[in-house]
Amino acid sequence: MRLIIPILLNCILVLAVYLIDKCTPAKKLPYMTKQIIIGVLFGGVSAFASSYGVEWLGTTVNVRDAAPLSAGLIFSAPAGIIAGLIGGIYRWFSVYWGGGVYTQLACSIATILAGFMAAGLRKLMFDNKKPTWGYGVCIAVVCEVIHMILIFITNMADSSYAFEFVKGATIPMIIGNAVAVGFAIIIVSLLNHERFTRKKGSERISNTFQRWLLLCIVVAYFVTSAFTLVLQNGMVRIETQKVFTAAINDVEADIKGKSDAQLLGIAEKVKKEYEKTPGIALQSLAEKYEIKEINVVDSDGLIINSTESDVIGCYDMNSKAQSKEFVDTLKKQDAFVQEYSPRGKDESVWRKYAAINLTDGGFIQVGYDAEQFHTMLNEFVVDVTKNRHVGTGGFVAVCDNKLSLIIDNDYSGLPISTIGIEPPSEMKEGKTASSLYYADVVDGKTQLSEKYMYVFKFVEGYCIIAAMPEAEAMFMRDASLYTSIFMQVLIFAALFIFIYILIKKVIINNLNKINATLGRITEGDLNVTVDVRSNEEFSSLSDDINSTVSTLKKYIAEAAARIDKELEYAKQIQLSALPTNFPDGEDYSIYAEMIAAKEVGGDFYDFYKLSDTTVAFLAADVSGKGIPAAMFMMTAKTIIKDLAESGMAVNDIFTKANEKLCENNESGMFVTAWMGILDLTTGNVQFANAGHNPPLLKRANGDFEYLKTRVGFVLAGMEGIRYRIGEITLSPGDRLFLYTDGVTEATNIENKLYGEDRLLDFMNQNATIEATRLLPALKKNIDEFVGDAPQFDDITMLMLDYKLKEGGESVANKTFPAKTEALNDVLGFVEETLEGIECPMKTQMAICVAIEEVFVNVAHYAYPDSDGVVNLHIAFDEESRDITFRMADKGVPFDPLQKTDPDVTLSAEEREIGGLGIFITKKTMDSLSYAYENGENILTMIKKI
Amino acid sequence: MTIEIKKNAEETIIEIVGRLDTLTAPALDKTINEDIGETKNLVLDVKGMEYISSAGLRILLATQKKMQKIGSMKLTNVCEEVMDVFEMTGFADILVIE
Repeated sequence: MRLIIPILLNCILVLAVYLIDKCTPAKKLPYMTKQIIIGVLFGGVSAFASSYGVEWLGTTVNVRDAAPLSAGLIFSAPAGIIAGLIGGIYRWFSVYWGGGVYTQLACSIATILAGFMAAGLRKLMFDNKKPTWGYGVCIAVVCEVIHMILIFITNMADSSYAFEFVKGATIPMIIGNAVAVGFAIIIVSLLNHERFTRKKGSERISNTFQRWLLLCIVVAYFVTSAFTLVLQNGMVRIETQKVFTAAINDVEADIKGKSDAQLLGIAEKVKKEYEKTPGIALQSLAEKYEIKEINVVDSDGLIINSTESDVIGCYDMNSKAQSKEFVDTLKKQDAFVQEYSPRGKDESVWRKYAAINLTDGGFIQVGYDAEQFHTMLNEFVVDVTKNRHVGTGGFVAVCDNKLSLIIDNDYSGLPISTIGIEPPSEMKEGKTASSLYYADVVDGKTQLSEKYMYVFKFVEGYCIIAAMPEAEAMFMRDASLYTSIFMQVLIFAALFIFIYILIKKVIINNLNKINATLGRITEGDLNVTVDVRSNEEFSSLSDDINSTVSTLKKYIAEAAARIDKELEYAKQIQLSALPTNFPDGEDYSIYAEMIAAKEVGGDFYDFYKLSDTTVAFLAADVSGKGIPAAMFMMTAKTIIKDLAESGMAVNDIFTKANEKLCENNESGMFVTAWMGILDLTTGNVQFANAGHNPPLLKRANGDFEYLKTRVGFVLAGMEGIRYRIGEITLSPGDRLFLYTDGVTEATNIENKLYGEDRLLDFMNQNATIEATRLLPALKKNIDEFVGDAPQFDDITMLMLDYKLKEGGESVANKTFPAKTEALNDVLGFVEETLEGIECPMKTQMAICVAIEEVFVNVAHYAYPDSDGVVNLHIAFDEESRDITFRMADKGVPFDPLQKTDPDVTLSAEEREIGGLGIFITKKTMDSLSYAYENGENILTMIKKI
Repeated sequence: MTIEIKKNAEETIIEIVGRLDTLTAPALDKTINEDIGETKNLVLDVKGMEYISSAGLRILLATQKKMQKIGSMKLTNVCEEVMDVFEMTGFADILVIE
């Protein structure tokens, strides 16, 4: 019961250390510091348990070994070793304050060993993890067995006391330590929410091996232990019987010798007297020598004289075996003593005979009964048995033929049953017990009885009994049984660990290596090879896997090459489906680009003239990428074009296309699209938006802005959708930019999107660049933003320019020197022309300012090194009342429209002087456009009057 | 373009008549830099100025910057056409116009 307290203490410490270890401050401790702290704590518990146990034969039965085992198995190897050292050293010195000296060395070593054992097993068997409680218990048992063996070994000189000690201490110490370690592990397992039942499904090979190996080892252990027990039992009986037989044979020989000598002496005396006086009365002679019978036998074996009258002359000694022996023997020798045996004449009577040859032939035979020779022998018998020991606690007793003890103490003459021994009744003279008998032998003084084993033998009318306490007989058996069982525990434990480690090294580690490599192969790294060569089987497995992988690699490469080729075709087909004959007429121009993320993509753009005055244009994005998207894109493109060419309104095109695309759309793909139909005569654009990004619209004098209108549902997404029509009117110089989400959703490595703001900024910074340069520039900007991140989505861009219609009749044309001095001439020419077409005075003045600005600009910068000219051409359209000014110079290529507009909201201090000229022109004119054509800077300005 | 300077105790008045363009602007620039002296308050009377281009605006802005440090500058009698240009360019908010 006292053992419960250290067991609990151990459990509590395990619990506390486990919980504290989970706290953040504890986690910050360096590894070794933590291990030392844990080791010292458990060493303390070990020391406490050492002194706090159950007294047993001068030492303490305790659970000292449980603490280092717990520390080592649950927490870490160093902690276990430290705890073991502390516990062991404490135990060594504890003799100075009352610890048992007897087991000092054994206990100290055992505790230190417990720490190392826990550490070693944790490393070798449990992959540096906590074992399950079952293993904890087994380890504790093995540890205590070692402890017990150490007690044996360190006390070899005193093996019986050591054995007594071990016999008593083994069970409580094994149970105590096993319970302590088992509970400690269970507590941690509970805290970890581990499952105690086996998980269903597959488990690790090492666990299967562990379990089955353990089962086999345990079965083998019990079988060999049982065999040892049976064998030792048999051995001990044989040994004991040998000891008994030797003792009895000694006594028998002594008694027989004495008995024979005694009767022979009598026979010689009788012979002497008979030969001296041949007529002597045999009866009186027998009485004189206290014998029963005297026979005189002639040389033929016939009794010629006897104390018994009825045999004289009629009993032939040859007639019975017993008597014949005398006749036969005495032919060879002079005297013969026969052992106590049944008479030939009457076998119910036992008698001892001796005979001596007579000088004149024949022989004389004397015989007496047990009672007669016993009185003469008893004293000798007492001497023979006195001080004779069997083993250390056994004895030899002799009884007469009535089983009364012949002994020189208080028991003399008493029946042997008085001390508890009762040979079976059927046993009598001449019988020898062939098996061992048991009796509770009573000590006359203490009246205590003890179980004895004994055998007996009837000799010369005596019953010789050899007896020995059973415990003494069994001591050797028990001692060897314990040692062999202990050694078997050790051997089987060692065997288990060895086989387990072997299997782990040979099979499991290799399997893990192969699995790790296969894992990398599965993840796509086909360049790794498996290289486990520790034995033939794994070598061949490695080779097989490697050849499989390389075959696979070959097939993949072939398939990839084929796919690449097919994709290349697909790319060609898809690209050829996208129109590239970009219109660049006087009234409008369209330029577009599609850059697929993969070889083929789901984005597309399209444009086509529906009539002389209407142009359809669209940008669209099919969900997904690659071949499926490309195929769906072709379908969508064709359907939309067919519908458009049938002359439908743009919203009806989408409504109808949606229905067609929804049919048989098993794959669940969809398309977003923005489509517009431009009326070239009016600039009117009717459009519809099916879930697409808002286009960017730039008015001639303004910035790009998102054209955000109501967005319809995606095409092919759901049946029965009706799309709305939207309308804007473009003025000459307006631009409309369509794109797909591949632009705004281009993503860089930091996962930032290119975004609508960035797009708007870029477009406004480059608002007037012609589309053929602007779109590649935008793509370049996106690429720079994205950096090393791969292009994720297809990118499509389409720019529609509704152009300045340089309409009207040419009204004036004049060439001026490109010098500021010519300004008055230029303005005079303009004023004159404007007056000719009845332009209002106010507009006239505004136009003059605008023309002055661009002219001065050319005069200042176009010809830095030489003199040049400027041509000004003025046309007027009576109908639209548009005046078109076309200013051309052959100077340095320069686009004045690129110039950033000044911020007109700043205060005087903040405003920069200058930069206002082009801005005034832009503000004044309705639209401007710049082009560099045939070595000429051409600036076209339109003003409606 | 003609420029006429009138000085009294409080202010210097410059009367501008005609076009203030790239060609004539340097003359005004010269007048303002050389002839107005130490005056603190400058008045530009543009009653007769029917035309202004960016070259003229530059001088107005430069003068405005200079004068607002030492005193004041204002424009009087701005005609409609010129006012349009001032508004277009944000000058209507910068200049003091009466």
